[in-house]
Amino acid sequence: MNRIVKNRELLVLAILGVLIVVIGAISPNFLRPTTLINIVNSSLFLMLIAIGEMFVILTRGIDVSTGAMAGLAAVILGVSLNAGVPLPVAIVLALLTGLAAGAVNAVGVTAFRVPPIIMTLGSLGIYRGLMLLITGGSWIETIPHSIKSVAAFRVAGIPALVWISLAIAVAVAFALKNLKQARYLYAVGDNEEGAFLLGIPVKATVFSAYCLSGLFAGAAAVVFVAQIGFVPMQTGSGQELKAIAAVVLGGVSLSGGVGNSMSAVVGALFLTAVDSMMIFLKIPGFWNNAVGGAILLAVVFIDYRIRCAVKDEQQRARAREMDQSTPERNNPTAGSASVMGKAT
Amino acid sequence: MIAWKWLRSWEAVLVAALAVELLALGAINPAFLSVENLLFSTSDFAHVILGALGLTLVVITAGIDISGVSIMGLASIVLGLSWVAGADIWLAVLIALAVGSLAGTFNGLLVANTDVNPLVLTLGSMFMFAGIATGLPGVLDLLGFKAYGAGGFAAYQYEGITGLPKEFTALAHGGLGWVPNPLIAVLLFALVLSLILHRTRFGRYLYLIGVNPNVARYSGVPVKSVIVVVYTLSAFGAAIAGVILTSYFTSARSDLGSEALLNIITAVVLGSAAFADGAKIAFIPKLTGVGFFESGGKAPSRWARKSARR
Repeated sequence: MNRIVKNRELLVLAILGVLIVVIGAISPNFLRPTTLINIVNSSLFLMLIAIGEMFVILTRGIDVSTGAMAGLAAVILGVSLNAGVPLPVAIVLALLTGLAAGAVNAVGVTAFRVPPIIMTLGSLGIYRGLMLLITGGSWIETIPHSIKSVAAFRVAGIPALVWISLAIAVAVAFALKNLKQARYLYAVGDNEEGAFLLGIPVKATVFSAYCLSGLFAGAAAVVFVAQIGFVPMQTGSGQELKAIAAVVLGGVSLSGGVGNSMSAVVGALFLTAVDSMMIFLKIPGFWNNAVGGAILLAVVFIDYRIRCAVKDEQQRARAREMDQSTPERNNPTAGSASVMGKAT
Repeated sequence: MIAWKWLRSWEAVLVAALAVELLALGAINPAFLSVENLLFSTSDFAHVILGALGLTLVVITAGIDISGVSIMGLASIVLGLSWVAGADIWLAVLIALAVGSLAGTFNGLLVANTDVNPLVLTLGSMFMFAGIATGLPGVLDLLGFKAYGAGGFAAYQYEGITGLPKEFTALAHGGLGWVPNPLIAVLLFALVLSLILHRTRFGRYLYLIGVNPNVARYSGVPVKSVIVVVYTLSAFGAAIAGVILTSYFTSARSDLGSEALLNIITAVVLGSAAFADGAKIAFIPKLTGVGFFESGGKAPSRWARKSARR
């Protein structure tokens, strides 16, 4: 029970597993490997944006410009490919665009102390405007086919992009556990003043979180363009809220300091899988949002009830412990020591 | 003394910025500064103000409600569907307002009974309401009502539920003299909310809950029911906005207002210097905030469109 509370990813993953089995029972085609691989493949865009978003939310900030940053990076990728820039250079340019867009947010939030939601709301408008300025409002459609070969490349029957993205997610999870600078993210998110007093470079940590958010939005843009081969004007529009929903679903707390990249992976997988399940249940696509929203609410609510139940149970255990230790009241140190021992 | 204090306040800064902005735009093109033009252009963002007004109450309690934009679409589609199902158009308006408010009650119950961040809860309900609004016409069509109209599903997707009675669609385009009806609705709603905020005990409770919900609870404030009422009020504002949008665009659509979320939040943020600190928020500036933002962002292009039409 405690493990589930500490690991929302496990709870969500368990629900997802049950859902997959149920849908598979109704419609066996759903369990075919190609279907499952396609689900993972189409969740990559959201997954990468969500991982970026996670860094910011860990520091107790919020970034609503992720979708716009991804859109801007996609436009840069498309335009530079059309201008004859070699593919690897164009990809690096797209990543740098995301990084630069994130750095602008970072400067606003750290140097000018603009509240994150206001800063990123403003930059969202700016980045969307830049997209229009660069393209003149038209879709970028005639992108060289070299970009699509990136998505078509498969290793062991699974698209290379899936391998790369999952590897990145695992690497991020590993870094978040073991890297000192990554632990700073948690410290700052949990208690900014405390972190400052401990000598943690708070501003640099927050700064890097927003930059990483931009960088991952850029990476998401590369995946997006590689998968669909053109850049529509609304690329990434609305994805910022989906990304926030995904990380929250996966167990990242908006009050900072809780969660890791697996939360983003599980959340994005879940939301995408639900969309596919609707297709297999022959439910019209426009119910997707209703179901997605209801699931988010249900998971958050169930999680709240479980936390309450566990807390009650812990307090009852503590009360029993206190009762048992009453005879030792004559010796207060012994009594409190046993309570302390139980509590830790 | 009071006048001097007001001059140094954030609202005064916004009003000044708005004046500068209007004058600058007017200098570029004098035709922009016609009173009639300025007043009637408010109809384009009346729904933003209505959403921002309701949201302000929620923000004062240190909460947030981003589902308002979906409630606009939901109210619009419920209005259209009730009318398709045979209700009188004014009854349909009432049903839309009721359903919209109920959606807010749902938010309020969730927020009041869990410790989950309201942003998460209303994010979920935002998706949910929007999804319900998109899905409902299909259900009604299955039940045998012709929600999609003569053109079928393709036409519905393009133009929404059309053919609403003239006396309803004329509403948002009419006005008292130079003051358009949507603006009158905005002013009335603003007046009612500021009376509630500053002249009732309920209003004072909102500030107390915003500062310290625990103190509020221990001093006997019915925190949970106040929260439920606040989210309901906020949704009621959004529902009014949905009805006005339906009348303004002469068709009921599930995506009416869906673009307004970031504008609404910006308006609330701009109108109130302290977003995180609910209690410090003054109320009336919302109007100036929205006016500044909207005319800054869109006025020139809107003016260009209008003059092209003439």
